[in-house]
Amino acid sequence: MDGNFVISQSDKRPMYLQIMEQIKRRISVGDWTEGQTIPSIRQLAVDLQVSVITVKRAYLELEREGVIVTQQGKGSHVASTPGLGAWLQEQEFEQHLEQAIRLATLLGIRPRELQGRLREAGDRVSEKEQTEKEKV
Amino acid sequence: MSQSVVQQLIVKDLRLHRLHILLSLGCGAIALALLQIRSEIPFVVGCVWFFISLIVLGSMLPVSNIINEKKKQNLAFVMSLPVSSIQYATSKLVSTVGMFLAPWLMLVIAGVALILGRSDIPDGFIPALLILSGMTLVGFCVIAAAAVVSEAEGPTIAATILCNSTYGLGWYLVIRNPAVRHDLLSPVPVWSSYMLTFLGLELAVVAVVLGAAYYLQSRKRDFV
Amino acid sequence: MSDLAIELHGVGKKYRYFTLDNIHLELAPGQIMGLIGPNGAGKSTTIRILLGLVHQDHGEVRVLGHRMPSEQVAAKWDIGFASDDMRLYEAMTLEWHMNFIRSMYPGWDPAYAQLLLKRFGLREEQKIKGLSHGQRVKATLLLVLARRPKLLVLDEPTTGLDPVARHEVLRELTDVMADEGRSILFSSHNTQDVEQISDQITFIDRGRIIDSMDKEAYLDRWRRLRLEVPLGVTLSALPGIIGIRQAGRLAVATANDFVPDLASAYVNAGARLQCIENMTLEEIFVANVEHSREEVEA
Repeated sequence: MDGNFVISQSDKRPMYLQIMEQIKRRISVGDWTEGQTIPSIRQLAVDLQVSVITVKRAYLELEREGVIVTQQGKGSHVASTPGLGAWLQEQEFEQHLEQAIRLATLLGIRPRELQGRLREAGDRVSEKEQTEKEKV
Repeated sequence: MSQSVVQQLIVKDLRLHRLHILLSLGCGAIALALLQIRSEIPFVVGCVWFFISLIVLGSMLPVSNIINEKKKQNLAFVMSLPVSSIQYATSKLVSTVGMFLAPWLMLVIAGVALILGRSDIPDGFIPALLILSGMTLVGFCVIAAAAVVSEAEGPTIAATILCNSTYGLGWYLVIRNPAVRHDLLSPVPVWSSYMLTFLGLELAVVAVVLGAAYYLQSRKRDFV
Repeated sequence: MSDLAIELHGVGKKYRYFTLDNIHLELAPGQIMGLIGPNGAGKSTTIRILLGLVHQDHGEVRVLGHRMPSEQVAAKWDIGFASDDMRLYEAMTLEWHMNFIRSMYPGWDPAYAQLLLKRFGLREEQKIKGLSHGQRVKATLLLVLARRPKLLVLDEPTTGLDPVARHEVLRELTDVMADEGRSILFSSHNTQDVEQISDQITFIDRGRIIDSMDKEAYLDRWRRLRLEVPLGVTLSALPGIIGIRQAGRLAVATANDFVPDLASAYVNAGARLQCIENMTLEEIFVANVEHSREEVEA
């Protein structure tokens, strides 16, 4: 059970969010599987050299989202929900979408335009991938 | 458990002043060697050196052991240990006076032995030796107490100068008494009431000074 | 009897040019408290009152259940104190100091002491006067850490240390947290360190406690709102907003008690919200001090 997480000082987001994200990532790539025991709050705090209260908050939020389960006196483990990893990946994608929409609203891009912009972006990405393949 | 903390602080002070103690003993030994020489001038020089050793030792020790600990910011380190301000004062007074007392005793005992051993020096000199040497011990206690209470160089140096300048007066007051001068030449030590009064005075001053130091130390509210 | 590691209630101390006033502080066991504030704010005085080295004029002080300063000897058996104005004996070696402490405290862990020597890159046979500033700080901390005291009180433990040394020290401090019976109180100018490892943050300025609370909750209360203000619209300071700075059409509102309604309120007033940013502890520190200074001048 390692704690090879990295908390970035330059990342402007709160530390607890960074921790949550990295835990979710571990689960979504399959490093941590459903039902697997994860480090206790205190242990992770020591490993990451962050305050206990920050890890506690991260764990609380993750529990609220159904990602992990903490039992009094027994420690914490990944939720035993089947397909959790895939579900988290989906969730991340949804979050990116919501962020893009929020930004679009701020910039004044209307929902109708959004579909067209999405298609254009898709085309650009395919083009880039094609160019990369040709280079190799 | 706390008693051993005081002991350890005393031992610590002694360790820190190893060199100082050796040097002062060395100077005293030279003085005693000179006193062995059976001619007048070396004898007088030896006598003077004897007392100067004691005075110099007395002047340097309180500053080195007590004041410097505060100046060099070691005080915070010591006060972080499980010791109260009174216990600290105790350890300081014991180690400081102890470091002076040891060579003082050695020299005085050696001086007494010298007098007893040499047939050309009457034993009547012994009470005078004790009273006059005693003055430097009393003076030292005054300086040490001033250092512990004031925690500053100024008052300590003032006390040092005051004491050093009164030794001469003290010695004069003893020697000018004709009975004392007469008793010097006696083949056996004579403890006249005059001498005993002086002895009592010396002990009283030590008691008062140390008592005052403890009282003032206990009234302090800020230690660092 | 309460089992708080540290309790200060209504503590006050008056000096000639400085007054410490109405200090309330509580630290539960197993937690780290970071004490921050400008120079001369009263951090060192508060710490010394905690240790019984300075006698408060009024108020109650309890450390590990002991009344201070009357029970300071009993308390100091379980407290490890290091401050940046503390010096070891120059003429002696680190080994001498280690033996000195070892002979005094039963809790000394020789294996851990050796490990710390290695981690801190110190050689015990060296005399203190031969050590650099950073090495001296680490030596002093080693003497305090190897005893494994129940409470660590540190005044500026990382000040003046290079980044590597700082990292070494932070690692040892967070290692202490593995034991939930042990607590740390430290004061620091390094807001990054405080932000990273503290569970509780206490903010002191000019002898008064401005804030003392859970770090996460504290950081959550502060936001920076970046707004675009069209002509004809004036932004008013709403409750929860500590200050507004405007240059031309761009404004920055600093909130010290943020709720999402604040942002909506400004949008409803006609401003355009560019973004809502979290603030680092350093930014909060500066905003807090500047604000309290302005208040005094007003």
